[in-house]
Order: sequence, then C-alpha cells, then structure tokens
Amino acid sequence: MRLILATVALAALAACSGANNASTSKNTTTTTTAVTAAPSPVPSGQVVKIGIDLPLSGGDASVGISTEQGALLAVDEAQKEMPRGFTLQGEALDDSVQGVHNPEQGVSNVRSFISDAAVLAVVGPYNSNVARAEIPVTNAAGLAQIGPSVVADNLTIGPDAAQLRRANPSLNTFFRVCTTDSRQGSALAQFARSLGFKRAYIIDDNETYGLDLADRFEKDFANDGGSVLARDHLAKNTQDFKSLLLKVLAAKPDVVFFGGVTSTGGGLIRKQMFSVGLGKIAYMGGDGLADLATVAAGQADGSYYTLAAPNAEKLPAAQAFVKAYRTKYNADIGPYSANAYAAAQVAAAAIIRAIKNAHGEAERAAVVANVASTKLETPIGPISFDKYGDVTNPVLSLYGFKNGQSYFIRQIQLKL
Amino acid sequence: MHEFLAQLFNGIALGGIYALIALGYTMVYGIIGLINFAHGDVYTLGSFFALTIFTALGVSGELHGVALIVDVAIALIGAALLCGIVGVLIERLAYRRLRNAPRLAPLITAIGISFILENAMQIWKGPAPVPFPAVVPNPSIVIAGVAVGAQQFLLVGLAVVMMVALQLFIHNTRLGRAMRATAEDRDAAQLMGININKTIMLTFLIGSALAGVAGFVSGVYYQSTWFFNGFGAGLKAFTAAVLGGIGNIAGAMLGGFVIGIIESFATWKFGGQWSNVTVFAILILVLVFRPSGLLGEAVYERA
Repeated sequence: MRLILATVALAALAACSGANNASTSKNTTTTTTAVTAAPSPVPSGQVVKIGIDLPLSGGDASVGISTEQGALLAVDEAQKEMPRGFTLQGEALDDSVQGVHNPEQGVSNVRSFISDAAVLAVVGPYNSNVARAEIPVTNAAGLAQIGPSVVADNLTIGPDAAQLRRANPSLNTFFRVCTTDSRQGSALAQFARSLGFKRAYIIDDNETYGLDLADRFEKDFANDGGSVLARDHLAKNTQDFKSLLLKVLAAKPDVVFFGGVTSTGGGLIRKQMFSVGLGKIAYMGGDGLADLATVAAGQADGSYYTLAAPNAEKLPAAQAFVKAYRTKYNADIGPYSANAYAAAQVAAAAIIRAIKNAHGEAERAAVVANVASTKLETPIGPISFDKYGDVTNPVLSLYGFKNGQSYFIRQIQLKL
Repeated sequence: MHEFLAQLFNGIALGGIYALIALGYTMVYGIIGLINFAHGDVYTLGSFFALTIFTALGVSGELHGVALIVDVAIALIGAALLCGIVGVLIERLAYRRLRNAPRLAPLITAIGISFILENAMQIWKGPAPVPFPAVVPNPSIVIAGVAVGAQQFLLVGLAVVMMVALQLFIHNTRLGRAMRATAEDRDAAQLMGININKTIMLTFLIGSALAGVAGFVSGVYYQSTWFFNGFGAGLKAFTAAVLGGIGNIAGAMLGGFVIGIIESFATWKFGGQWSNVTVFAILILVLVFRPSGLLGEAVYERA
C-alpha cells in the first residue's frame, strides 16, 4: 500500500513535468530586478538601433525568421527618412534555447538592448510567455517595445498587466500591432451569427488562452441574440471526448465552439464529432485550430478559425509590402511578416520624430511617448494605440476548411 | 434512458482500451513487483508502429474484404511484436540490473524510460497529434435505440479475448506455470530450474505486446495518435490495475471497464473537467475500504 501511494505521488510529479514539456506554458512569471541604467541621449551623427527579439532557431524558426525579415525590411526602408547624420540599424537576437522560445533568454536579450545606448526601441518578442518576462524589464528601463504577434490578453489589460508594469506604473512601454486572443472570440461570434447560427455549444480546454477565447465568444454570441446551450471544460490528457460529445448531440446545437488549441483536444473533438453523429454541425475556434487539418484531414471541412491578424496577402494596402518582401528575400511572407514590418515602421517613425523634435538627439522617453501617440498607415491598416498599448482598430482574418485545406474567407474589422 | 445507454456503451469501449493497457501493468507487477511507468508510452508506441506499418502498406483509407483482414492482421501483429521487443529491451536495459536494488531505483528508471520514449516519439512523429487512417469500417448497430459502432464491439471483444487467452496461458502452460512460480518465490523457482531471466523477459514481451495491441486499437478507434497520449492513458490504466487489485488479471480487466464507465458518466453528469476528479475520488474510496483492490484478495492467483 505504501508503495502504491509513493508511486502515485511520483506519477503526479511526472505529470507536472510532463505537462510542462508538452505545452508551451503561457504563464511563466519571472521576477526581475529593476534596471536602472539611464543611458545618455545619442548624439548627432551616430547609429541608432531597433532591437529585434524573436525565436530564430529551433521549432519556432520558420515563423521567427519570416517575422524578423519583415521588421528588417521596414528598417531598411526607413533609412532614407532618417535625419541627416543618423543611421538606423536593426539588431536581431534569438530568444530560443535548445529549439524552444525561452523567457529567460528573452530577458537576457532585452537587457543587452537596454545596456546598448544606441537601441531606442525593441520589436518583439513572438511569444506571449516571453513577453510576460520581458515587459517588466523594458518597463523599468523606459524602453519602447512593440510586439508583432503576442496575443495573450493580460499582457496589456487587467491586474496581470498592471503587475508587469509595477516598476514604472504610470508609464506604458509595451505596445502591440496585433489584436488579442479573446477578440477572436468576438469576431467568431459575429461570424457565427452572420451565418444564421442560433444555438451554440461551447467547450474549452481549461487553459488561459482557451478560457479567455470561450468567455468572449459566449458573451458576444449571447449579446448578439444567439443562445448558448451549455459550456463545458475538458480534462487534461484525455483522448476520449465521445461522452462529452454525446451530451452535445443531445443539446442539438447549430455550432460547436472550441476555446483551445488542436493538441489540447481541438483536433480530436472535431474527429469524434463524426463518430457520434455531429459531423454535419459547424465547428469553430481561434487560431489554435489553424492546424486542424493536420489532425482531422478531410473531417476539418465545415470548421472555421480566425487569426488575430489580417491576411496581408489579401489586403490592398499590403501589396507593395508583399512585393518588396518577395523581391528582397525571394520568398513569400510569413504569417507575421506584415505585422513585424508594421511594428518596425511604428518604431522607426517614433525614433525619427524623436530625433527631429530634440534637434538631433534621440531619447528613449521621447520614443515611448511618440509610439503611444502613433498615427501611421501601415500594410496592415492604420495603426494607433489605446492607453493600454492595444491597437484601436483590430482587423482579424477568418478562415475555413474545404477538402482538408484551409482557405481564406474574409477580414473582420471589429467595432470596439 | 437513451443517453444513459449511449454513455454506457461509450464507457465500455473506453474501458476496453484501459483494460488492455492495465493487463501489462498488472502482469509486470505480479511477477517482479515493479510498476512499469514506461508502459503507457509503449502503448503510444504501438499506435505509432501500427501507423507506420499502414503507411508502408500504402493504406490510407477504409479497407474491405480480404485486404481488411490481411492488412489489419499485419499491422496488429506487427505493432504487438515490435512493442514486445521494445518491452524486452527496456527490461534488459533499465530493470534487470536493478532487480535486487531497493524498489525505488527501478521505479525511477521506469519514469526515466518513459520520458526517453516520449521524447523519442516526439522527434519521430512531431509534437502535434498525428492522423491515423480510418482503416476499419464502422457500421452502426442499433441496440435499444442506441447506435453503437461495430468498432466498439471489436474493441471490447478483443480486450476480453486477450484477457481470457492470458488467463489460459498462465494457468495451463509450462511457461505460465514458470511465471506463476517466479511470482510466488523467485529464489525457490530458480532452485527448481526455472530460468528467471527468460521468464521475466517473457512477461515483458507479453505485457508490452498487449500494450501494442491497445495502441493499435486506439489508433483505429480514435483515428489519431499523439506522442503524449500514453501519459494520461497509462495513468488511468495503472489506476484500473490498482482498482481491480494489482497483480490480478481479471481485476485489471474489471478495473479498466469500471474506470471507463465512471469516466463516461462523470463527463455526462458533472462535465468534462470533473471526469478525472471523479475517477480518482472513487479510486481513493475503494482503496480506503479495500486496500488490495476489488479482486485483490486472491493473492495466490497473482499472475
């Protein structure tokens, strides 16, 4: 008996570490000491830099590098607008350790940007958990940071975000050109109602991302006249969702909404919908379902998902960027290339204004203020920020599946 | 009533998979008193092997007639055999030298092997869930108004056949008798001329082959597999073995079905996030009142 208890305890231990291995943890908290470096202004006739922190090796490299290239392209193009005597450079650092984006490495990269007086703004990181570790550091240093792709809600809004800004509570230094996780829920609710769906059954994977997304969908779908039949949460490490889906079947929904990602149940739920007789019912979720077809193949048909960014390939305003990117890198843009380009554009514009206003000196504080008051046309639309650092005109893109392939449906502009 | 039956049938099918995995846990524990925590990952490995064999055979969709029987037999036996070999290798590498070490040592190596297998599988087929072809047709059979897939019958049938075959093997063959003797008293068995190493190897071969069968079945049934599946399923199956009375073959089977059914009903009545809580709460209750599990009294019957 004692042996059994011991082994169960060990198994629980293994469970903790195993779960950490499997999912990219979205809630890494890192205590950071305030950085008190107060670099002197960059004098005229010097190099100024935009630091770029992204995962550039390992599993995230494919998206990381196309994101980096988007940012570097904007830096290149901003060069000709720089005041005389100033050169703008992009300096990229990799936040991957052993192939995985790493919050500690991100912090170390940001610290090295902070200690280099020439760095006036940072573009990045790619991942929300890295951002969570970095924001307190850039906030303490008063260095502007613009995220191209970090979509976790609580980086900008709410008590968690306030906690990230504790070193300098009155100063917001973190901005993002993408929208947030949960706004995908709003976009999906709007789309579901536009398809005439009235009865939604909502399931989430009980993780931060999935819960936020499902909460927002639930609220907006109900406000928009739809009826939410029930809300269910999944248990971890489960393969069998048929019991749950039998319950869903009995509730007779028009649409099943899933808050979560393919690997926490999103893929299996779609497949198992077919085995309980729900195969003809529509299935929806956020960007976590973007890779649904890799698991469900043809059974993904009839499913929809959003990305928290516009589809730059299809945006009229982005065509020049798409072409320039192709010319320079001889490759198609990646999912967040346009966002990174826009983020670097925002940073460069703020730096240029700061130098001009200070008559040839560039200060980090002025750059932060300029970013906050940005009004800029970018390939992904006009960008301006609210007081939390979120974009005021979020555009998302909507996709569906046909013959086991994802296809673009349209952009959704959210009314806030 | 309709939903009750639908949930019951679903729970039985789910339990069938747990039962198949639990058989391996219980056998190994019965013979050498070791909880083989790598067993759940051998189960996942079974589905990976089956998938690889199907891919090699060029199977990507539903099969019929002779092709169905031949290809399924090749994949099933292949997966079982390969898993059996992996099981034997694990025993040879990680457990044999620790056989006389304190019990915690092989337990830790088992967890180590589990992580090694998980990561190897992640490298092999990637970190995301992998689709498995829908090989076996699944026509519905209507029982009391509830449509039950033919696969559910096959799954449960296979689990029961495996258990009965295992019982017969252990009680009616020379090798089975050697296994029982080893379980009862290793030293005495050795003195009577039983080759202990061979007997334990055989135990791992059979137990891991059964996990391979379970992996095959889960691949066919869920049409998907994932390198991390074995962790959750293995823990549940281990629970099933303990609930039924670890070391007892019929108990593992019973425990598997009981846990499958509880999980199904808990999801239905309390919601998905409570299914694990309910399963483990019932496990605790059973162990408090019957510390050796539901069928655990019959110690002399230890596999």
